[in-house]
Amino acid sequence: MDFDATNLTAIQDHKLIDLNKGAVGHMRNVILLTIDTLRRDALGIYGSKRGLSPFIDSIADRCVVFDRAQAIGPYTQTSFPGILTSSYYFDYGRSSHLSPQRVLVSEPLKSGGIVTAAFHSNPYVSDYFGWNRGWDVFRDFMEYEVSDKVPFLRGKDVNSHVKDWLSSHVKGNNYQSFFLWVHYMDVHEPYIPQREYLELAHSSTEAHALSEDDMFQLFKEVVLKRDISDRQKVALLKELYEARVREVDDYVKQFFGILEQLEVLEDCLVIVTSDHGDEFGEHGGLSHDGKMFQELVSVPLFVFDPERRQRETCDKVVSSVDIPPTINCLFGLEPVQAFQGQSLFPLSEYKERGCFGEAIEKLGHSIKETDKEVYYYLAGNLKIIYRGNIDAWEMYDLQNDPNEINNIIPTVPKEEEMTCEQAHMKAILKARIGRWKET
Amino acid sequence: MSRLTVTDERRKELELKVQKSRDVVREAVREFSSRELAVGWTGGKDSTLTLFIVKQVCLEDKIPIPKAMFIEEGDTFPEIIDFVNEVSKKWNVDVEICMNKDVYDAGGGVLGGKVVVSKLSPRNQREVRERLELNIESFPFEAESFIGNHLMKTVPMNMFIEKNNIKGIFQGLRWDEQPARKQDEYFEFKEGGDLQPSHTRIRPILHFRERDVWDTTFAFGIPYVRLYEQGYRSLGAKTTSKKLSNVPAWEQDLEHTVERSGRRQDKEQMMERMRRLGYM
Repeated sequence: MDFDATNLTAIQDHKLIDLNKGAVGHMRNVILLTIDTLRRDALGIYGSKRGLSPFIDSIADRCVVFDRAQAIGPYTQTSFPGILTSSYYFDYGRSSHLSPQRVLVSEPLKSGGIVTAAFHSNPYVSDYFGWNRGWDVFRDFMEYEVSDKVPFLRGKDVNSHVKDWLSSHVKGNNYQSFFLWVHYMDVHEPYIPQREYLELAHSSTEAHALSEDDMFQLFKEVVLKRDISDRQKVALLKELYEARVREVDDYVKQFFGILEQLEVLEDCLVIVTSDHGDEFGEHGGLSHDGKMFQELVSVPLFVFDPERRQRETCDKVVSSVDIPPTINCLFGLEPVQAFQGQSLFPLSEYKERGCFGEAIEKLGHSIKETDKEVYYYLAGNLKIIYRGNIDAWEMYDLQNDPNEINNIIPTVPKEEEMTCEQAHMKAILKARIGRWKET
Repeated sequence: MSRLTVTDERRKELELKVQKSRDVVREAVREFSSRELAVGWTGGKDSTLTLFIVKQVCLEDKIPIPKAMFIEEGDTFPEIIDFVNEVSKKWNVDVEICMNKDVYDAGGGVLGGKVVVSKLSPRNQREVRERLELNIESFPFEAESFIGNHLMKTVPMNMFIEKNNIKGIFQGLRWDEQPARKQDEYFEFKEGGDLQPSHTRIRPILHFRERDVWDTTFAFGIPYVRLYEQGYRSLGAKTTSKKLSNVPAWEQDLEHTVERSGRRQDKEQMMERMRRLGYM
């Protein structure tokens, strides 16, 4: 399709003024809604035809949708440092504990007079691992008894706690500005959806015949063993996953309903994203291990702006490290030195710098001391990956090979075997390798 | 003072439970000498019951009572320290107070005090950098955080095991205490590695329910720390343990409420949540 670049800038500038007027520096409240393990391609706003996200799709016209958002790691411990501290996993060693040297987005906000509240039930970002700094209210619900089949608080229960807090906070109209972080775990394995959502997600499927025990058995026998030999079972698991996506869409709807009911929706900018995706056999595995392929590290990211009446799509490559500076900027606070990302707004000022990701290359969920690091760097349509366990390089052309099947460089590449661009990307990524050991 | 009375029939049930524990202790003393064994003693009801049973078996078998290891994590109730001193004298048990004083002092002896890693002993620096894989300059002193748990509990225990050449350590864990313990076994061998000595964990009272512990405590006249009488149901670090009631622990609704709800979530609870999410 032909389009006039000057015209595009003009359109962006026009929107930018809107955003400036309604948002940057003047936003009354900001909400960060994160959905664990939600794949980008599960949502209608990113082109899925599966109908799993009717509510999210229905608010797209009031959103800025980031088409190429990247997570900085493929599992919670590696990605949340980006979303909440604008720093990378290996910045302070390779521990699950949040280094006291990192600045949580809640800290400058709280010092800036914003009320900060967090509601989630992911153990990796709990009080125990040091994520409770800077929050006026921090609920990780670790004291709650949970079951094997639903090992977290359901989205609707999280919503009910949020509602209790929010309704008491916004009573009267003279409440202090707030930053609220809400995280849903529902999409995360063990993939045991409620029957109504299974039916809503799939009109007819073998999955309808499964009991909860059957589903749990699939999780234990197939997911935990990372056994993809039976493709039908993997497909079945994907359907169960999709039913949970359909379920979480309802919780998002319920959450927006709460904001509306409390008459605060028009005063809130809502950033929605996910910490990482999930694998269903695309690269030989299941769940979310230490790999850097797009089913794991490309994420949904869209921003609900109450002033907006028309969807805007941003096709720049952006990273989850950009989220904390964005929140900071929306409240009009001074930039935080320690933040490594940049504000997503104003959109026209965002400079594409490519995205990095870092993780430990583990298989299954427990990390062994011998597991080495895996890194990626994505710029334009190229992505380079370095795998420490086998000391090998890979590069994919995401435009022509979006499924990342054909490695276009030798695994032990020499300068002369690569184009200038490839060699340049390798040099950029190489500079990050082993960084975590430095004092 | 509030006391519990136990019927004869109930007493017989408890004796059977104690007998099972004694069998576990006997198996341990057949495997290891008294010098190679130790009892992890927190001053709480479960480890005090464990120590009581170990002591009884040793007295009957005329063998020395193993040493008790008390970990002072830097945030301990003074009532517990008094209790441990008093009971150890009465029972003639040798207690070794284990504390990571280097870390405690570095934090100035206060919670939240800044601990600078480069000023710690070489061993503690290695624990932070190599075992925890943390590349940090400093951290706030705490007993029950991820770092605190390792440096103030795991490290002193490992050092105690190394120093005394301990092969087996008795623990007062119970299956019904929390879901994370459900899979525990009476004997578990812990493989060693760098900075971690291999040893066997021995858990004689796994099968006791919370109610059984209280009934046994009263039926056998085993001492307990007064904090339980004030309403504390489960004891952890001083600043993070709350009492959720003012009635004695044994008069609370043990069957329908959560034993550890007055405590901060700890390592085992985190591990259990992660296991259920498929991370184990």
